[in-house]
Amino acid sequence: MEKQEFLKNLQEVLEVEQTLTVETNLKDLDEWDSMTAMLLIGYVSDEFGVTLTGDNIGEISTVQSVIDFIGESKFS
Amino acid sequence: MLEVESKKNILVTGATSGIGKGLVISLLQDPENIVYGIGRDEEKISGLLDKQNFKFIAYDLTDINSIENMFRDKFENVKFDGFVHCAGMEETIPITLYSPEKVLQIFQINVFSAIELLRLLSKKKYSENNASFVLLSSVMGELGQAGKVGYCASKAALLGVVKSLALELAKREIRVNAVSPGIVNTPLTSQLFQQLDAKNVDRIKDMHPMGIGKVDDVADLLCFLLSEKARWITGQNLKIDGGYSVQ
Ligand SMILES: NC(=O)c1ccc[n+]([C@@H]2O[C@H](COP(=O)([O-])OP(=O)(O)OC[C@H]3O[C@@H](n4cnc5c(N)ncnc54)[C@H](OP(=O)(O)O)[C@@H]3O)[C@@H](O)[C@H]2O)c1
Repeated sequence: MEKQEFLKNLQEVLEVEQTLTVETNLKDLDEWDSMTAMLLIGYVSDEFGVTLTGDNIGEISTVQSVIDFIGESKFS
Repeated sequence: MLEVESKKNILVTGATSGIGKGLVISLLQDPENIVYGIGRDEEKISGLLDKQNFKFIAYDLTDINSIENMFRDKFENVKFDGFVHCAGMEETIPITLYSPEKVLQIFQINVFSAIELLRLLSKKKYSENNASFVLLSSVMGELGQAGKVGYCASKAALLGVVKSLALELAKREIRVNAVSPGIVNTPLTSQLFQQLDAKNVDRIKDMHPMGIGKVDDVADLLCFLLSEKARWITGQNLKIDGGYSVQ
């Protein structure tokens, strides 16, 4: 998937106001809470077949860090 | 002298893991029980396959339309005294990510397969009078939790099945009940805990005043419900949760 498309999809799934970039720190978003985390886990699992664990969510900061967990190779 | 038929045929779904597997192990201790276990992955119970009074049927219960053929094939001349539906799945999906296919999938294994099995088991040719049928619901059948629309709805549906069918089968003195556990230490729970951070896992454990349960805690209740000692209990939802749901 193109990173741009990923950013757009993520913004839509997480229903965030702000335009996301790879540098956006997800945990600084006003919308970030346990439900947003659940949405992130669900979306990444559906789209990439990658299961983010609770510990992974603890470590995540920027969108790039999510991409790193999914694997850079899955993006063009 | 007339020989009294004392063997009991018991059907257990979800026999390959967690609560179902624990129940099978308990039941097999009594040589009078002939246990029929349904699951998909027989490797998980390889240690049980050579037991004389255990018969394993590898079957994917989401293939609902063929359950009747499976019965014809495997249970010719078998009348069941007991049935426990332990097969089930749990998932955490926020509603905006639920697709109709995903809703169907969880209902197929948790609810629709149970109804189809019960439809067949309710026939005289597949069940003895006085039989006991038990469905594994969950405390989530009555309570709610974020991200559990599919799980809570499917477990609540089973409670409706139990109440209605208990009345339908009372004439044959067949009992139908639900057992609703809180968190029990099984592979299903490990998978759930994996999605949470350590703080949330501790929080969930703390919500169980007597700690989280063991498989045998639930298996013992299931054995009781299958036994004659429970002969006047029907249409009920028995919660077993170390005090979780009374707070
Ligand atoms: N553990 C808990 O904390 C807890 C709490 C409340 C309620 N419950 C309920 O108790 C029941 C048993 O839970 P558990 O913890 O023992 O779960 P588990 O360890 O995950 O075992 C689930 C069982 O269901 C079988 N199964 C799943 N999908 C199937 C399919 N399509 N066809 C045939 N078999 C299928 C599995 O067979 P294979 O592995 O062979 O595929 C496995 O034997 C479930 O209904 C669950 O919702 C559990």
